Amino acid sequence: MDLNIRIAGAAGQGIETTGDLLVELFADQGIHCFSGQTYMSRIRGGLNWYDVRVADRELFSGREKADVLVALNDQALDWLQGDVAEGGVKLLNGSGRDDAICVEFEKVAKETGGSAIMANTVAAGAVLTILGYGVASLEEHLRERFARKGDEVVAANIACARKGAELVASHAGALKGPAGDNAPRGICSGNEAVGLGAATAGVKFAAGYPMTPSTGVLTFLAQAADRYGIVVEQAEDEIAAVNMICGATYAGVPAMTTTSGGGFALMVEGLALAGMLELPIFIFLGQRPGPATGLPTRTAQQDLMFALNAGHGEFPRAVFAPGTPQQCYELTRHGLAVAHKYQTPVIMLSDQFLADMRKNCAGLDESYRPVDRCLCLDPSEEYLRYAVTESGVSPRAIPGGNSFVVLDSDEHDEDGHITDHLATRVKMQDKRMRKLDGMVAEIMPPEWHGPPDAEKVLVCWGSTYGPCREAVDIMNSDNRAVAMLHFQQVWPLDGAAIRTTLGVGRGIISVECNQTGQFARLLRQVGAVSDFQLMAKYDGLPFTAEEIVRRLQ
Amino acid sequence: MTLDKPFFDTDIAWCPGCGNYAILRTFDKAVEAAGVDRKKLVLVSGIGQAAKLPHYTKANVLNGLHGRAVPAATGIKLANHELEVVITSGDGDMYGEGGNHLLHAIRRNIGIKAFVHNNQVYGLTKGQASPTSDLGFVTKLQVHGVYSQPFNPLAIAIAEQCSFVARSFAGDMQHLQQMMVAALQHKGGFALLDILQPCPTYNHVNTFQWYKSRVRKVDGSHDPYDRHKALDLALKWGDEIPVGIIYRCDRPTFESHYEVLSRGALVGQYEGNAQA
Repeated sequence: MDLNIRIAGAAGQGIETTGDLLVELFADQGIHCFSGQTYMSRIRGGLNWYDVRVADRELFSGREKADVLVALNDQALDWLQGDVAEGGVKLLNGSGRDDAICVEFEKVAKETGGSAIMANTVAAGAVLTILGYGVASLEEHLRERFARKGDEVVAANIACARKGAELVASHAGALKGPAGDNAPRGICSGNEAVGLGAATAGVKFAAGYPMTPSTGVLTFLAQAADRYGIVVEQAEDEIAAVNMICGATYAGVPAMTTTSGGGFALMVEGLALAGMLELPIFIFLGQRPGPATGLPTRTAQQDLMFALNAGHGEFPRAVFAPGTPQQCYELTRHGLAVAHKYQTPVIMLSDQFLADMRKNCAGLDESYRPVDRCLCLDPSEEYLRYAVTESGVSPRAIPGGNSFVVLDSDEHDEDGHITDHLATRVKMQDKRMRKLDGMVAEIMPPEWHGPPDAEKVLVCWGSTYGPCREAVDIMNSDNRAVAMLHFQQVWPLDGAAIRTTLGVGRGIISVECNQTGQFARLLRQVGAVSDFQLMAKYDGLPFTAEEIVRRLQ
Repeated sequence: MTLDKPFFDTDIAWCPGCGNYAILRTFDKAVEAAGVDRKKLVLVSGIGQAAKLPHYTKANVLNGLHGRAVPAATGIKLANHELEVVITSGDGDMYGEGGNHLLHAIRRNIGIKAFVHNNQVYGLTKGQASPTSDLGFVTKLQVHGVYSQPFNPLAIAIAEQCSFVARSFAGDMQHLQQMMVAALQHKGGFALLDILQPCPTYNHVNTFQWYKSRVRKVDGSHDPYDRHKALDLALKWGDEIPVGIIYRCDRPTFESHYEVLSRGALVGQYEGNAQA
């Protein structure tokens, strides 16, 4: 039982509101669901779609074919009907075509509810009926959703849902949707999960410049700001954003910024500043296909090497790459903790696929549990910000207390003041880099999924988690021994440990949304693998399990 | 070559006769006179000769990147608005590399005091033109003289309704101290103090005498709340250069918009008192 509903049309036609309504309803019912969006870089027109997949087991990625195509205009039907699965249903927002079930969503909404704005409710009523669910649960959902807007709005929406159902009554139950199971009832997108992770972990200041696909995190924080006590500022540019969070962390407040590749390019000098000043900044980098402006609304994993090597000079950093919304939440909290423990920048890599993906999440804890800032709150008069220690981590005091806290982007002595003394330079550089030893000792081990004796291993990182995991399950149901090794932490890496995990004689296939196999090359660099095959994808779309299985054969 | 000893004295890196000495001495006096608690004083600078000033006095310091003093100071002020955050940096740092940040800090009206040492030349990189160099100013890099119109910091600030705009001259320490104290005591948001400063090494046009013979203190009849009159003064450059408090206006500070900051400094609200 596995159905994919594809809502397609032009930007501005209400694709997202329809998709959101359906996926939230399914999650409400405890049905396993997964949604993803594919859209063009425009506010009106074009062809965009929103997939909502439901099944009787946990889902981790999207599918290529649609079982229900909801075409919001004729063009969407013409372009996408070739991707409708055998036995699938086509529902057109329109009239007069015999290759689809025709319902005029806006017209019906206007006639039934008094406003075209409820077209998505008409569509949802029709889709749920085709899937054999009926509209009772939708009505309940609408009652809750619009309770604050009053009885009239609720009644109009329910009438629209019923009308949508009525107009497709002859197709009721054409497909059979999965029953409400014990799937977690919450739902979360990748970007929301990052935002919630940050807010609960004690981020008190966020600065960023809007850039797809990272903006959702900044928006989430702005909307959560009053609840969690956060100052959110839209900076004049990314250079300002990263320098602002350097200032805020210096003053003792956990702070983060959000950006994509082009904006991160502007932040690079500030990243090195945080390395030199030993500030725990957290950078959320939502990747998209480059170079330059590239494909602004599509997905890619092209900035791994960039994130790893960005910044002049040498300084320790950690780079994380979650694969699911749940991992986004946990890893944001973990990343902030690591940044503070080691007083060094942490970068989290996401991408459009992960940013927009929504799936059931087992109730992410919304309570405020701030990470340890690891501050020295009662420094002595002789306090030295950069005291040389065995671990490389110096006690971190903040300005406003008993002692002066001096930071300098120039090489500096233990007191923070500028120096040109070359022996001191070596001593301080060694101190900073020693922090990496502690970070290495705390590396998150990669996740193995599949039979321990698998002959082939799909190595992946970040958002390819879902497609790879599902590909492994498909292959193994067919008795083909394949496993997945997924990395949520992509730097630092423990080459020897990975080599042991991978063992000898296995086929290593690196599955990456880039052209050159950036992670596989990194694994080779740290001595984790010698040879690998690369399954690369860089057309701007995410992998699906089907594609991975196909390409493995 | 031995690594055991510094190559040169790292105490003070300025040339003899540099206007920065006067600015530093005056700054220390102004901090006393304005009653600023040094433990709560944060000096923020970018890169340049002026940007080294924080190392030569007693304060908390963030000496960051070239051009980026303003955003760093903004982050500090928002994280802890009980700190007195003062930028001391040069014309290249503030009006060139960091120009965009200055525009937006003034828009925000965040409570930062910017003391800009304006010597109309680049010192640290050895004598190139700065954004405020006069037309025709010849350097090793601008071999036929500067072609671009000089940046007018005061006029720009007034156009943006900067809440405090003043100018002084490093050669008149008494006046400079008055201006610094007034800026430090300004509670209404962003303060810009442009400090004319001779560079005896690289600027042989705008010398001490050149400034000395041109600066004119604005008299008591000037109403700094009169924006048009203030702009007239700001546009004066040449035989007469007005110094003093040129412009003031009352606008809400950036910090005052945030309800969370009305409960105290953000940094003090970390441990478990969020409403969640």
